[in-house]
Amino acid sequence: MMEMAIKLTELEPEMESSCESAQVLAEHGLESKITTRHLNFFYGENQVLFDNNLDIAKNQVTAIIGPSGCGKSTHIRVYNRVYELYRDQRAEGEVLLDGENILDPAYDIMELRRKVGMIFQKPTPFPMSVFDNVAYGLKMHYVMSKSEMADRVEEALQRAALWDEIKDHLHRPGTSLSGGQQQRLCIARAIVVAPEVLLMDEPCSAIDPIGTAKIEELIFDLKDHYSIAIVTHNMQQAARVSDFTAFFYQGRIVEFGPTSQIFTKPAQKKTEEYITGRFG
Amino acid sequence: MKRRPPTGRRAVNLVVSIWAVGSALMGIAILFWIIFVVVTRGLGAMNLAFFTHLPTPPGILGGGLVNAMIGTLVLTVAATLMAVPLGLLAGVYLAEFSEDSKIADFSRFSANVLMGMPSIIVGVFAYTLVVVPLGKFSGYAGALALAILMLPLVTRTTEDMLRLVPNTLRESALALGAPRWRVTLAIVFRAAKSGLITGVLLAVARVSGETAPLLFTTLNSPFWFHSLGEPIPNLTVTIFDYAMSPYPDWQQKAWGASLLITAGVLVVTLLARFTLREKKL
Repeated sequence: MMEMAIKLTELEPEMESSCESAQVLAEHGLESKITTRHLNFFYGENQVLFDNNLDIAKNQVTAIIGPSGCGKSTHIRVYNRVYELYRDQRAEGEVLLDGENILDPAYDIMELRRKVGMIFQKPTPFPMSVFDNVAYGLKMHYVMSKSEMADRVEEALQRAALWDEIKDHLHRPGTSLSGGQQQRLCIARAIVVAPEVLLMDEPCSAIDPIGTAKIEELIFDLKDHYSIAIVTHNMQQAARVSDFTAFFYQGRIVEFGPTSQIFTKPAQKKTEEYITGRFG
Repeated sequence: MKRRPPTGRRAVNLVVSIWAVGSALMGIAILFWIIFVVVTRGLGAMNLAFFTHLPTPPGILGGGLVNAMIGTLVLTVAATLMAVPLGLLAGVYLAEFSEDSKIADFSRFSANVLMGMPSIIVGVFAYTLVVVPLGKFSGYAGALALAILMLPLVTRTTEDMLRLVPNTLRESALALGAPRWRVTLAIVFRAAKSGLITGVLLAVARVSGETAPLLFTTLNSPFWFHSLGEPIPNLTVTIFDYAMSPYPDWQQKAWGASLLITAGVLVVTLLARFTLREKKL
């Protein structure tokens, strides 16, 4: 009896935290595309994520907000294991993509990265033509004829709302486009390989307001096809584009809920302080 | 507060400015002085025969150094073919894959030491390594000595140029599912292309004027270039031989050869600068 009681109290906080996002998704009848459980992350000796539990809903936009250095970017960089470029970075815990743990070293990393595309803070066009930028991932993952490739590239550029602006300049270098166009080129490059998830790490922070508006519109259209996780500093942006919002603070997930609720009646005091601009 | 009069500071400023500008002018002046002397003395040797004929024995006027021009070209190309693939790969290892391990630190340190190594010592090294076992002077030994001199230059410039490529570019390629080798070859190399070419060109410019490492290895020859397995005619050792000779005709040709090499190095260096500048646009 005694033993049972101890076990229950030990389990309780864990259950609670692991279930907040899962519960919210269940209430809305949504499936979890990426399920993170007890994720800890380290830069060398320095732990920056503590016991993160989060569900990214399928075909929805999930915004990740929080003050600088709270671990937002670090968290989504686990989803495609891009942090592995740096030897001293290390993740512990479970991140399930459709129920399979991607942190398992046996998980095929090329396939993971095809399924989980990423858009970075600064546009990073490759030093090649617009067409080749988009075709790069396509050539890597698929075998196809030249005409089919041209079709796929066009389709991706159209979906990224860039086709009409650059259809006559496909052979110009990718770096010659404007900042906003470059970022949409990166989105086209990411979606051409038919991913299931798109990770966006502050995709508009280096883009002017008009470019930002276009990309936000695009995010709204893209969610029919992809599950999207977007890290943003800009709370209006989170409110505009996302269905759900997770608030990070000092490496922990403080609150998760439907975006409308987080921004109108947050449950946690810290969340309220942050969204009303009292810190961060 | 009592103001300190600015006269003292102004005087110091003036002295230091004049000193700095003077030093810069001195360096430039010496360079142009050398170029001026080489051009004025060397121009006299320039004629059609100089570029088309074999050298003549002492006492017989005329002839040219076409064999030495070809030989220097062959030696430089052979050394480049040996050093560039190795140097590029070593640079790729240091910049992309070493993660600053102990081996990487040691390699980098060795490359720096090798860069400061007197070239005559590299010549002696190639002598013991190739000339002694084969029992004769040869183009292979000379090319090897030049390649050893090029290797650290190519390695270090490759590393530096690859490190200039931002990590976000590597991350974007990795995030598309590219394996690491593909990211390096298709993306990082392409982004650093003009820098890499510049590094190779500067290394070529550096060794094409080397004499000391060739004295112990390739020697010289008054005949046409036949194969790398024997002594090869070349411009730098020809300059050395002819300048030391008592024949005015040979001394004149040494000036001509000096002009040719100076012009060649200048062209390669300008080409390197031009390639690098193109990137910035």
